[in-house]
Amino acid sequence: MERVPLNKVVPVVLAACLVSFAVAETKKEYRYTVGPNANVSLDTQFGSISVRPGNANEVVVFATLQSDKAEVDNLQSGNRIEFVSHLFQGADQQSGRIDYEVLVPADATLSLRSSTGPLSAERLQGDLSLEGTDAAVDIHDVSNGHVHVTTMRGPVTLTNIRDGHVEVSSISGDVTMKSVTGILVKANSGSGKIFYDGDFGAGGDYKFTTHNGDIVAVVPANASADFRAHSMLGKVQSDLPLQPRHSHLSFEEGRAFFGTVGKAASAVVLRSFSGRIRLKQR
Amino acid sequence: MKCSDVKQVLPEIIDGSGDAEFQQHLECCSSCSGLVAELKLIAAESRQLAEIDEPPARVWVGIANQLRAEGIIRDRETSKARPVLVPPPARRWNARWLAPVAVAIVAVGSYQLAHKTAAPGAQQVAEQAPSQPQPQASQPSLNAQAANSQAAPQSVASPTAPPASRAVELAERGAQPSTGATAQHAKFAEPTLAAEASPPASEEDQRFLSEVSQRAPTMRATYENQLRAVNAEIQETQEYIKRYPDDLDARQHLMEVYQEKALLYQMALDRIQ
Repeated sequence: MERVPLNKVVPVVLAACLVSFAVAETKKEYRYTVGPNANVSLDTQFGSISVRPGNANEVVVFATLQSDKAEVDNLQSGNRIEFVSHLFQGADQQSGRIDYEVLVPADATLSLRSSTGPLSAERLQGDLSLEGTDAAVDIHDVSNGHVHVTTMRGPVTLTNIRDGHVEVSSISGDVTMKSVTGILVKANSGSGKIFYDGDFGAGGDYKFTTHNGDIVAVVPANASADFRAHSMLGKVQSDLPLQPRHSHLSFEEGRAFFGTVGKAASAVVLRSFSGRIRLKQR
Repeated sequence: MKCSDVKQVLPEIIDGSGDAEFQQHLECCSSCSGLVAELKLIAAESRQLAEIDEPPARVWVGIANQLRAEGIIRDRETSKARPVLVPPPARRWNARWLAPVAVAIVAVGSYQLAHKTAAPGAQQVAEQAPSQPQPQASQPSLNAQAANSQAAPQSVASPTAPPASRAVELAERGAQPSTGATAQHAKFAEPTLAAEASPPASEEDQRFLSEVSQRAPTMRATYENQLRAVNAEIQETQEYIKRYPDDLDARQHLMEVYQEKALLYQMALDRIQ
Protein backbone atom coordinates (compact mmCIF):
# COMPACT_ATOMS: atom_id res chain seq x y z
CA MET A 1 0.00 0.00 0.00
CA GLU A 2 1.38 3.35 -0.99
CA ARG A 3 2.12 5.60 1.99
CA VAL A 4 0.54 9.09 1.96
CA PRO A 5 3.21 11.78 2.24
CA LEU A 6 3.31 13.57 5.61
CA ASN A 7 3.45 16.99 3.98
CA LYS A 8 0.01 16.34 2.54
CA VAL A 9 -1.55 14.86 5.64
CA VAL A 10 -0.60 17.58 8.10
CA PRO A 11 -2.26 20.49 6.26
CA VAL A 12 -5.43 18.47 5.87
CA VAL A 13 -5.51 17.67 9.57
CA LEU A 14 -4.84 21.29 10.49
CA ALA A 15 -7.57 22.48 8.18
CA ALA A 16 -10.00 20.03 9.70
CA CYS A 17 -9.18 21.28 13.17
CA LEU A 18 -9.70 24.91 12.17
CA VAL A 19 -13.01 24.09 10.57
CA SER A 20 -14.18 22.28 13.68
CA PHE A 21 -13.32 25.25 15.89
CA ALA A 22 -15.01 27.61 13.49
CA VAL A 23 -18.16 25.52 13.46
CA ALA A 24 -18.35 25.49 17.28
CA GLU A 25 -18.09 29.29 17.44
CA THR A 26 -20.81 31.45 15.92
CA LYS A 27 -20.43 35.10 15.04
CA LYS A 28 -23.36 37.40 14.55
CA GLU A 29 -23.53 41.01 13.51
CA TYR A 30 -26.21 43.54 14.32
CA ARG A 31 -26.53 47.07 12.96
CA TYR A 32 -28.82 49.84 14.11
CA THR A 33 -29.33 53.41 13.05
CA VAL A 34 -29.58 55.83 15.95
CA GLY A 35 -29.76 59.53 16.64
CA PRO A 36 -27.69 61.67 19.00
CA ASN A 37 -27.20 60.49 22.59
CA ALA A 38 -28.17 56.90 21.89
CA ASN A 39 -28.65 54.62 24.88
CA VAL A 40 -26.92 51.24 24.54
CA SER A 41 -27.20 48.48 27.12
CA LEU A 42 -25.46 45.09 27.11
CA ASP A 43 -25.82 42.38 29.71
CA THR A 44 -24.00 39.08 29.46
CA GLN A 45 -23.61 36.57 32.24
CA PHE A 46 -20.46 35.04 30.78
CA GLY A 47 -18.29 36.88 28.33
CA SER A 48 -16.49 40.09 27.57
CA ILE A 49 -17.80 43.39 26.34
CA SER A 50 -15.57 45.83 24.49
CA VAL A 51 -16.83 49.20 23.30
CA ARG A 52 -15.17 51.63 20.92
CA PRO A 53 -16.39 54.68 19.03
CA GLY A 54 -17.75 54.18 15.54
CA ASN A 55 -19.96 56.12 13.16
CA ALA A 56 -21.98 59.00 14.57
CA ASN A 57 -25.39 57.52 13.74
CA GLU A 58 -24.86 53.81 13.92
CA VAL A 59 -24.48 51.11 16.53
CA VAL A 60 -22.77 47.92 15.41
CA VAL A 61 -22.62 44.86 17.63
CA PHE A 62 -20.50 41.81 16.90
CA ALA A 63 -21.47 38.85 19.09
CA THR A 64 -19.41 35.68 19.31
CA LEU A 65 -21.27 32.71 20.73
CA GLN A 66 -19.30 29.71 21.94
CA SER A 67 -22.13 27.23 21.56
CA ASP A 68 -25.80 26.87 20.85
CA LYS A 69 -26.56 26.85 24.55
CA ALA A 70 -26.83 30.63 24.54
CA GLU A 71 -28.46 33.15 22.32
CA VAL A 72 -28.60 36.90 21.94
CA ASP A 73 -31.82 38.69 22.78
CA ASN A 74 -31.79 42.14 21.29
CA LEU A 75 -34.20 44.97 20.73
CA GLN A 76 -34.25 48.54 19.54
CA SER A 77 -36.78 50.99 20.85
CA GLY A 78 -36.19 54.36 19.27
CA ASN A 79 -32.79 55.52 20.36
CA ARG A 80 -32.42 52.76 22.92
CA ILE A 81 -30.70 49.48 22.10
CA GLU A 82 -30.58 46.55 24.44
CA PHE A 83 -28.68 43.26 24.25
CA VAL A 84 -29.07 40.45 26.76
CA SER A 85 -27.38 37.07 26.64
CA HIS A 86 -29.94 34.34 27.17
CA LEU A 87 -28.74 30.99 28.48
CA PHE A 88 -30.45 27.70 27.69
CA GLN A 89 -30.64 24.55 29.73
CA GLY A 90 -27.24 23.02 30.32
CA ALA A 91 -25.27 26.20 29.68
CA ASP A 92 -22.20 26.80 31.81
CA GLN A 93 -19.48 29.43 31.95
CA GLN A 94 -17.80 28.13 28.81
CA SER A 95 -20.69 27.04 26.66
CA GLY A 96 -22.81 30.01 27.72
CA ARG A 97 -20.15 32.56 26.93
CA ILE A 98 -21.00 35.36 24.52
CA ASP A 99 -18.39 38.00 23.77
CA TYR A 100 -19.44 41.38 22.42
CA GLU A 101 -17.51 43.94 20.41
CA VAL A 102 -19.48 47.13 20.03
CA LEU A 103 -19.07 50.26 17.98
CA VAL A 104 -21.15 53.21 19.17
CA PRO A 105 -21.35 56.95 18.55
CA ALA A 106 -18.89 58.72 20.81
CA ASP A 107 -21.71 60.50 22.71
CA ALA A 108 -23.68 57.34 23.42
CA THR A 109 -24.75 56.46 26.95
CA LEU A 110 -23.54 52.98 27.83
CA SER A 111 -24.56 50.39 30.37
CA LEU A 112 -22.44 47.25 30.47
CA ARG A 113 -22.78 44.30 32.79
CA SER A 114 -20.93 41.01 32.97
CA SER A 115 -20.06 38.60 35.75
CA THR A 116 -16.86 37.24 34.25
CA GLY A 117 -15.90 40.05 31.89
CA PRO A 118 -13.63 41.70 31.09
CA LEU A 119 -15.36 44.99 30.38
CA SER A 120 -13.62 47.73 28.45
CA ALA A 121 -14.53 51.10 26.97
CA GLU A 122 -12.35 53.65 25.25
CA ARG A 123 -12.43 57.04 23.52
CA LEU A 124 -15.99 57.90 24.44
CA GLN A 125 -17.70 61.03 25.66
CA GLY A 126 -21.03 59.83 26.97
CA ASP A 127 -22.08 58.50 30.37
CA LEU A 128 -20.74 55.05 31.18
CA SER A 129 -22.05 52.57 33.72
CA LEU A 130 -20.10 49.33 34.09
CA GLU A 131 -20.90 46.56 36.53
CA GLY A 132 -19.01 43.33 36.99
CA THR A 133 -18.83 40.69 39.67
CA ASP A 134 -15.41 39.28 38.97
CA ALA A 135 -15.01 41.19 35.75
CA ALA A 136 -11.94 43.34 35.27
CA VAL A 137 -12.95 46.80 34.13
CA ASP A 138 -10.72 48.93 31.92
CA ILE A 139 -11.74 52.41 30.80
CA HIS A 140 -9.44 54.82 29.06
CA ASP A 141 -9.48 58.08 27.13
CA VAL A 142 -12.94 59.17 28.19
CA SER A 143 -13.98 62.77 28.65
CA ASN A 144 -16.99 64.87 29.58
CA GLY A 145 -19.05 61.99 30.85
CA HIS A 146 -20.17 60.40 34.06
CA VAL A 147 -18.22 57.20 34.67
CA HIS A 148 -19.76 54.83 37.18
CA VAL A 149 -18.08 51.49 37.91
CA THR A 150 -19.16 48.78 40.32
CA THR A 151 -17.44 45.47 40.94
CA MET A 152 -17.38 42.86 43.61
CA ARG A 153 -13.88 41.48 43.18
CA GLY A 154 -12.95 42.66 39.75
CA PRO A 155 -10.07 45.14 39.49
CA VAL A 156 -10.80 48.53 38.01
CA THR A 157 -8.35 50.48 35.87
CA LEU A 158 -9.10 54.01 34.73
CA THR A 159 -6.68 55.84 32.48
CA ASN A 160 -6.90 59.35 31.09
CA ILE A 161 -10.40 60.18 32.25
CA ARG A 162 -11.00 63.91 32.11
CA ASP A 163 -13.53 66.62 32.72
CA GLY A 164 -16.15 64.33 34.07
CA HIS A 165 -17.60 62.75 37.13
CA VAL A 166 -16.12 59.45 38.28
CA GLU A 167 -17.47 57.04 40.88
CA VAL A 168 -15.93 53.65 41.53
CA SER A 169 -17.22 51.20 44.11
CA SER A 170 -15.74 47.79 44.72
CA ILE A 171 -16.17 45.34 47.56
CA SER A 172 -12.67 43.93 47.32
CA GLY A 173 -11.26 44.83 43.93
CA ASP A 174 -8.21 47.04 43.45
CA VAL A 175 -8.73 50.44 41.88
CA THR A 176 -5.98 51.97 39.74
CA MET A 177 -6.32 55.48 38.37
CA LYS A 178 -3.83 57.17 36.09
CA SER A 179 -4.44 60.70 34.87
CA VAL A 180 -7.96 60.82 36.17
CA THR A 181 -9.30 64.28 36.82
CA GLY A 182 -12.73 65.77 37.11
CA ILE A 183 -15.22 67.76 39.09
CA LEU A 184 -15.82 64.77 41.33
CA VAL A 185 -13.69 61.64 41.57
CA LYS A 186 -14.72 59.08 44.17
CA ALA A 187 -13.27 55.65 44.68
CA ASN A 188 -14.17 53.21 47.41
CA SER A 189 -12.96 49.70 47.97
CA GLY A 190 -13.53 47.61 51.07
CA SER A 191 -10.43 45.46 51.08
CA GLY A 192 -8.92 46.40 47.75
CA LYS A 193 -6.09 48.85 47.23
CA ILE A 194 -6.46 52.26 45.65
CA PHE A 195 -3.62 53.64 43.57
CA TYR A 196 -3.73 57.10 42.01
CA ASP A 197 -1.14 58.62 39.72
CA GLY A 198 -2.07 62.11 38.62
CA ASP A 199 -2.14 65.76 39.52
CA PHE A 200 -5.60 65.99 41.13
CA GLY A 201 -6.37 68.65 38.61
CA ALA A 202 -9.51 70.44 37.40
CA GLY A 203 -10.26 72.01 40.76
CA GLY A 204 -12.36 69.07 41.76
CA ASP A 205 -13.24 67.00 44.80
CA TYR A 206 -11.36 63.74 45.16
CA LYS A 207 -12.27 61.16 47.76
CA PHE A 208 -10.58 57.79 48.12
CA THR A 209 -11.69 55.47 50.90
CA THR A 210 -10.99 51.91 51.92
CA HIS A 211 -11.60 49.73 54.90
CA ASN A 212 -8.31 47.90 55.13
CA GLY A 213 -6.85 48.36 51.67
CA ASP A 214 -3.89 50.69 51.24
CA ILE A 215 -4.18 54.01 49.49
CA VAL A 216 -1.24 55.34 47.50
CA ALA A 217 -1.28 58.64 45.61
CA VAL A 218 1.61 59.74 43.42
CA VAL A 219 1.51 63.40 42.44
CA PRO A 220 3.87 65.76 40.60
CA ALA A 221 5.62 68.57 42.40
CA ASN A 222 3.43 71.16 40.64
CA ALA A 223 0.15 69.70 41.89
CA SER A 224 -2.36 72.05 43.44
CA ALA A 225 -4.44 70.42 46.10
CA ASP A 226 -5.62 70.52 49.68
CA PHE A 227 -4.96 67.15 51.29
CA ARG A 228 -6.71 65.56 54.19
CA ALA A 229 -5.65 62.07 55.10
CA HIS A 230 -6.80 59.95 58.02
CA SER A 231 -6.46 56.29 58.86
CA MET A 232 -8.22 55.22 62.03
CA LEU A 233 -5.95 52.30 62.74
CA GLY A 234 -3.36 52.41 59.98
CA LYS A 235 -0.44 54.67 59.31
CA VAL A 236 -0.23 57.68 57.07
CA GLN A 237 2.81 59.15 55.42
CA SER A 238 3.37 62.10 53.14
CA ASP A 239 6.52 62.44 51.07
CA LEU A 240 5.16 65.63 49.57
CA PRO A 241 6.18 68.85 51.31
CA LEU A 242 2.83 70.08 52.51
CA GLN A 243 2.00 73.49 53.86
CA PRO A 244 0.44 72.58 57.17
CA ARG A 245 -3.20 73.36 57.61
CA HIS A 246 -4.81 73.57 60.97
CA SER A 247 -7.59 71.17 61.77
CA HIS A 248 -9.96 71.62 64.70
CA LEU A 249 -10.09 67.86 65.03
CA SER A 250 -7.44 65.98 66.94
CA PHE A 251 -5.92 62.75 65.78
CA GLU A 252 -3.31 60.45 67.13
CA GLU A 253 0.17 61.04 65.78
CA GLY A 254 0.85 59.16 62.61
CA ARG A 255 -2.82 58.65 61.84
CA ALA A 256 -3.55 61.81 59.90
CA PHE A 257 -2.05 64.70 58.01
CA PHE A 258 -3.46 67.92 56.62
CA GLY A 259 -1.78 70.30 54.24
CA THR A 260 -1.73 71.99 50.88
CA VAL A 261 0.47 72.13 47.83
CA GLY A 262 0.38 74.88 45.25
CA LYS A 263 -2.80 76.93 45.32
CA ALA A 264 -4.89 74.12 46.79
CA ALA A 265 -7.23 74.15 43.83
CA SER A 266 -8.60 70.66 44.43
CA ALA A 267 -9.79 69.06 47.64
CA VAL A 268 -8.44 65.56 48.29
CA VAL A 269 -9.68 63.27 51.04
CA LEU A 270 -7.83 60.03 51.69
CA ARG A 271 -9.42 57.89 54.37
CA SER A 272 -9.07 54.32 55.53
CA PHE A 273 -10.17 52.38 58.56
CA SER A 274 -7.03 50.30 58.94
CA GLY A 275 -5.20 50.60 55.64
CA ARG A 276 -2.03 52.59 55.12
CA ILE A 277 -2.11 55.90 53.31
CA ARG A 278 0.90 57.14 51.40
CA LEU A 279 1.29 60.39 49.47
CA LYS A 280 4.31 60.26 47.22
CA GLN A 281 5.96 62.76 44.96
CA ARG A 282 6.58 61.70 41.38
CA MET B 1 -89.04 44.84 13.41
CA LYS B 2 -87.11 42.35 11.30
CA CYS B 3 -85.11 39.30 12.29
CA SER B 4 -81.85 41.07 11.30
CA ASP B 5 -82.68 43.88 13.73
CA VAL B 6 -83.21 41.40 16.55
CA LYS B 7 -79.82 39.80 16.02
CA GLN B 8 -78.14 43.18 16.37
CA VAL B 9 -79.65 43.75 19.82
CA LEU B 10 -79.44 40.15 21.04
CA PRO B 11 -77.16 40.93 24.01
CA GLU B 12 -79.74 43.42 25.30
CA ILE B 13 -82.53 40.91 24.91
CA ILE B 14 -80.62 38.14 26.68
CA ASP B 15 -79.94 40.22 29.76
CA GLY B 16 -83.55 41.25 29.78
CA SER B 17 -83.25 44.85 28.71
CA GLY B 18 -85.00 44.55 25.31
CA ASP B 19 -87.95 46.87 24.69
CA ALA B 20 -91.61 45.99 23.87
CA GLU B 21 -91.02 46.02 20.11
CA PHE B 22 -88.42 43.28 20.43
CA GLN B 23 -90.64 41.26 22.71
CA GLN B 24 -93.53 41.56 20.26
CA HIS B 25 -91.32 40.25 17.43
CA LEU B 26 -90.24 37.30 19.52
CA GLU B 27 -93.87 36.39 20.13
CA CYS B 28 -94.48 36.32 16.37
CA CYS B 29 -91.21 34.81 15.13
CA SER B 30 -90.46 31.26 16.22
CA SER B 31 -86.95 31.35 14.77
CA CYS B 32 -85.84 34.39 16.77
CA SER B 33 -87.61 33.26 19.93
CA GLY B 34 -85.92 29.85 19.70
CA LEU B 35 -82.54 31.50 19.25
CA VAL B 36 -83.06 33.77 22.23
CA ALA B 37 -84.22 30.86 24.38
CA GLU B 38 -81.10 28.82 23.55
CA LEU B 39 -78.80 31.74 24.27
CA LYS B 40 -80.48 32.40 27.60
CA LEU B 41 -80.06 28.75 28.52
CA ILE B 42 -76.33 28.85 27.68
CA ALA B 43 -75.86 32.01 29.73
CA ALA B 44 -77.64 30.50 32.71
CA GLU B 45 -75.76 27.19 32.55
CA SER B 46 -72.37 28.86 32.21
CA ARG B 47 -72.86 30.70 35.50
CA GLN B 48 -73.20 27.38 37.23
CA LEU B 49 -70.08 25.78 35.83
CA ALA B 50 -68.04 24.25 38.65
CA GLU B 51 -64.29 23.93 38.79
CA ILE B 52 -64.61 20.23 38.19
CA ASP B 53 -66.08 21.02 34.83
CA GLU B 54 -62.90 22.73 33.64
CA PRO B 55 -60.96 20.95 30.93
CA PRO B 56 -58.36 18.46 32.23
CA ALA B 57 -54.69 19.38 32.35
CA ARG B 58 -53.91 17.27 29.30
CA VAL B 59 -55.95 19.71 27.23
CA TRP B 60 -53.69 22.61 28.23
CA VAL B 61 -50.58 20.49 27.74
CA GLY B 62 -51.78 19.61 24.30
CA ILE B 63 -52.35 23.25 23.45
CA ALA B 64 -48.88 24.16 24.77
CA ASN B 65 -47.27 21.38 22.73
CA GLN B 66 -49.03 22.59 19.61
CA LEU B 67 -47.88 26.17 20.21
CA ARG B 68 -44.37 24.92 20.86
CA ALA B 69 -44.36 22.91 17.66
CA GLU B 70 -45.42 25.98 15.74
CA GLY B 71 -42.60 27.99 17.31
CA ILE B 72 -44.92 30.45 18.94
CA ILE B 73 -43.52 29.73 22.40
CA ARG B 74 -40.07 28.57 23.44
CA ASP B 75 -38.90 26.60 26.39
CA ARG B 76 -36.90 28.60 28.88
CA GLU B 77 -36.38 25.87 31.44
CA THR B 78 -33.04 25.77 33.20
CA SER B 79 -31.53 22.71 34.69
CA LYS B 80 -31.30 22.41 38.42
CA ALA B 81 -28.21 20.30 37.92
CA ARG B 82 -26.33 22.97 35.96
CA PRO B 83 -25.29 26.38 37.18
CA VAL B 84 -27.55 28.51 34.99
CA LEU B 85 -28.51 31.86 36.29
CA VAL B 86 -31.72 32.43 34.34
CA PRO B 87 -34.58 31.07 36.44
CA PRO B 88 -37.44 29.18 34.75
CA PRO B 89 -40.65 31.15 34.33
CA ALA B 90 -42.44 28.95 36.85
CA ARG B 91 -39.90 29.98 39.47
CA ARG B 92 -39.70 33.65 38.58
CA TRP B 93 -39.88 34.78 42.17
CA ASN B 94 -39.88 38.34 43.03
CA ALA B 95 -36.66 38.94 44.89
CA ARG B 96 -37.31 42.65 44.99
CA TRP B 97 -37.40 42.35 48.76
CA LEU B 98 -33.63 42.56 48.52
CA ALA B 99 -33.92 46.16 47.39
CA PRO B 100 -35.79 47.38 50.48
CA VAL B 101 -33.45 45.30 52.61
CA ALA B 102 -30.54 47.12 51.01
CA VAL B 103 -32.27 50.42 51.76
CA ALA B 104 -32.92 49.25 55.31
CA ILE B 105 -29.26 48.45 55.76
CA VAL B 106 -28.32 51.98 54.76
CA ALA B 107 -31.07 53.38 57.00
CA VAL B 108 -29.80 51.38 59.97
CA GLY B 109 -26.36 52.71 59.29
CA SER B 110 -27.71 56.26 59.25
CA TYR B 111 -29.49 55.65 62.55
CA GLN B 112 -26.37 54.32 64.15
CA LEU B 113 -24.41 57.30 62.97
CA ALA B 114 -26.95 59.66 64.51
CA HIS B 115 -27.27 57.69 67.73
CA LYS B 116 -24.36 57.98 70.11
CA THR B 117 -25.61 55.43 72.65
CA ALA B 118 -23.81 52.07 72.33
CA ALA B 119 -26.02 49.09 71.58
CA PRO B 120 -26.04 46.24 74.09
CA GLY B 121 -25.17 43.76 71.35
CA ALA B 122 -21.91 45.52 70.66
CA GLN B 123 -20.95 45.17 74.29
CA GLN B 124 -21.45 41.40 74.05
CA VAL B 125 -19.27 41.24 70.97
CA ALA B 126 -16.60 43.23 72.78
CA GLU B 127 -16.48 40.67 75.54
CA GLN B 128 -16.03 37.66 73.26
CA ALA B 129 -12.60 36.11 73.26
CA PRO B 130 -11.00 36.21 69.82
CA SER B 131 -11.12 32.85 68.06
CA GLN B 132 -7.93 33.46 66.14
CA PRO B 133 -4.51 32.94 67.73
CA GLN B 134 -2.55 36.04 68.63
CA PRO B 135 0.80 35.77 66.88
CA GLN B 136 3.86 37.72 67.98
CA ALA B 137 2.18 39.42 70.88
CA SER B 138 1.87 38.68 74.53
CA GLN B 139 -1.02 41.12 74.79
CA PRO B 140 -3.72 42.06 72.32
CA SER B 141 -1.65 43.06 69.33
CA LEU B 142 -3.56 46.19 68.39
CA ASN B 143 -2.31 47.85 71.57
CA ALA B 144 1.04 48.29 69.90
CA GLN B 145 -0.40 49.25 66.55
CA ALA B 146 -2.45 52.07 67.99
CA ALA B 147 0.38 53.58 69.95
CA ASN B 148 3.45 53.06 67.86
CA SER B 149 3.84 55.52 65.03
CA GLN B 150 7.54 54.80 64.74
CA ALA B 151 7.20 51.15 63.84
CA ALA B 152 8.79 49.76 60.70
CA PRO B 153 6.47 49.23 57.76
CA GLN B 154 4.50 46.05 58.09
CA SER B 155 3.61 43.64 55.36
CA VAL B 156 0.36 44.26 53.63
CA ALA B 157 -2.15 41.49 53.38
CA SER B 158 -3.61 40.59 50.07
CA PRO B 159 -6.83 42.46 49.41
CA THR B 160 -8.47 39.15 48.68
CA ALA B 161 -7.43 37.60 51.98
CA PRO B 162 -10.37 35.88 53.66
CA PRO B 163 -11.75 37.62 56.72
CA ALA B 164 -10.34 35.02 59.08
CA SER B 165 -6.82 36.08 58.24
CA ARG B 166 -7.45 39.75 58.94
CA ALA B 167 -6.78 39.15 62.60
CA VAL B 168 -3.33 37.95 61.61
CA GLU B 169 -2.84 40.94 59.32
CA LEU B 170 -3.79 43.44 61.99
CA ALA B 171 -1.67 41.60 64.51
CA GLU B 172 1.33 41.77 62.23
CA ARG B 173 0.85 45.48 61.70
CA GLY B 174 0.98 46.06 65.41
CA ALA B 175 3.53 43.51 66.41
CA GLN B 176 6.04 46.02 67.74
CA PRO B 177 6.35 46.25 71.50
CA SER B 178 4.28 48.96 72.96
CA THR B 179 6.26 51.77 74.53
CA GLY B 180 3.60 54.39 74.97
CA ALA B 181 0.34 52.83 74.18
CA THR B 182 -2.52 55.22 74.32
CA ALA B 183 -5.00 53.91 76.83
CA GLN B 184 -7.96 54.60 74.59
CA HIS B 185 -6.67 52.71 71.57
CA ALA B 186 -5.28 49.95 73.75
CA LYS B 187 -8.73 49.18 75.04
CA PHE B 188 -10.06 49.07 71.51
CA ALA B 189 -7.66 46.32 70.47
CA GLU B 190 -9.55 43.39 71.95
CA PRO B 191 -12.94 44.13 70.45
CA THR B 192 -11.45 44.54 66.98
CA LEU B 193 -9.84 41.13 67.05
CA ALA B 194 -13.06 39.73 68.33
CA ALA B 195 -14.75 41.27 65.32
CA GLU B 196 -12.34 39.45 63.04
CA ALA B 197 -14.04 36.20 63.97
CA SER B 198 -16.96 35.73 61.60
CA PRO B 199 -19.84 37.84 62.87
CA PRO B 200 -23.12 35.95 63.09
CA ALA B 201 -25.20 36.30 59.93
CA SER B 202 -28.48 38.13 60.35
CA GLU B 203 -31.80 36.72 59.25
CA GLU B 204 -31.73 38.94 56.20
CA ASP B 205 -28.28 37.68 55.30
CA GLN B 206 -29.38 34.08 55.66
CA ARG B 207 -32.38 34.72 53.46
CA PHE B 208 -30.22 36.53 50.96
CA LEU B 209 -27.81 33.59 50.73
CA SER B 210 -30.70 31.19 50.47
CA GLU B 211 -32.05 33.08 47.47
CA VAL B 212 -28.63 33.12 45.86
CA SER B 213 -28.24 29.38 46.48
CA GLN B 214 -31.48 28.63 44.75
CA ARG B 215 -31.07 30.92 41.79
CA ALA B 216 -27.34 31.09 41.27
CA PRO B 217 -25.76 28.21 43.21
CA THR B 218 -22.33 28.70 41.67
CA MET B 219 -22.24 32.24 43.06
CA ARG B 220 -23.18 31.30 46.59
CA ALA B 221 -19.64 30.89 47.86
CA THR B 222 -18.56 34.19 46.35
CA TYR B 223 -21.42 36.16 47.82
CA GLU B 224 -21.07 34.43 51.16
CA ASN B 225 -17.39 35.28 51.41
CA GLN B 226 -17.97 38.87 50.43
CA LEU B 227 -20.88 39.18 52.83
CA ARG B 228 -18.78 37.78 55.64
CA ALA B 229 -16.04 40.29 54.86
CA VAL B 230 -18.44 43.22 54.79
CA ASN B 231 -20.11 42.16 58.03
CA ALA B 232 -16.70 41.98 59.65
CA GLU B 233 -15.96 45.50 58.43
CA ILE B 234 -19.24 46.72 59.88
CA GLN B 235 -18.54 45.10 63.19
CA GLU B 236 -15.01 46.49 63.39
CA THR B 237 -16.22 49.97 62.65
CA GLN B 238 -19.08 49.74 65.12
CA GLU B 239 -16.70 48.71 67.84
CA TYR B 240 -14.41 51.57 67.00
CA ILE B 241 -17.28 54.07 67.13
CA LYS B 242 -18.40 52.66 70.41
CA ARG B 243 -15.03 53.56 71.83
CA TYR B 244 -14.60 56.83 69.99
CA PRO B 245 -18.07 58.22 69.40
CA ASP B 246 -16.72 61.64 68.50
CA ASP B 247 -14.74 60.38 65.53
CA LEU B 248 -16.81 61.75 62.66
CA ASP B 249 -14.66 60.03 60.08
CA ALA B 250 -15.44 56.71 61.67
CA ARG B 251 -19.16 57.42 61.52
CA GLN B 252 -18.88 58.39 57.89
CA HIS B 253 -16.91 55.24 57.28
CA LEU B 254 -19.61 53.14 58.89
CA MET B 255 -22.14 54.64 56.52
CA GLU B 256 -19.91 53.76 53.61
CA VAL B 257 -19.52 50.19 54.78
CA TYR B 258 -23.28 49.85 55.04
CA GLN B 259 -23.50 51.18 51.52
CA GLU B 260 -20.99 48.54 50.53
CA LYS B 261 -23.28 45.87 51.94
CA ALA B 262 -26.25 47.38 50.17
CA LEU B 263 -24.19 47.32 46.99
CA LEU B 264 -23.54 43.62 47.48
CA TYR B 265 -27.25 42.96 47.87
CA GLN B 266 -28.03 45.06 44.84
CA MET B 267 -25.48 43.29 42.66
CA ALA B 268 -26.97 39.95 43.60
CA LEU B 269 -30.48 41.24 42.99
CA ASP B 270 -29.50 42.47 39.54
CA ARG B 271 -28.04 39.11 38.64
CA ILE B 272 -30.52 36.64 40.08
CA GLN B 273 -33.72 38.37 39.14
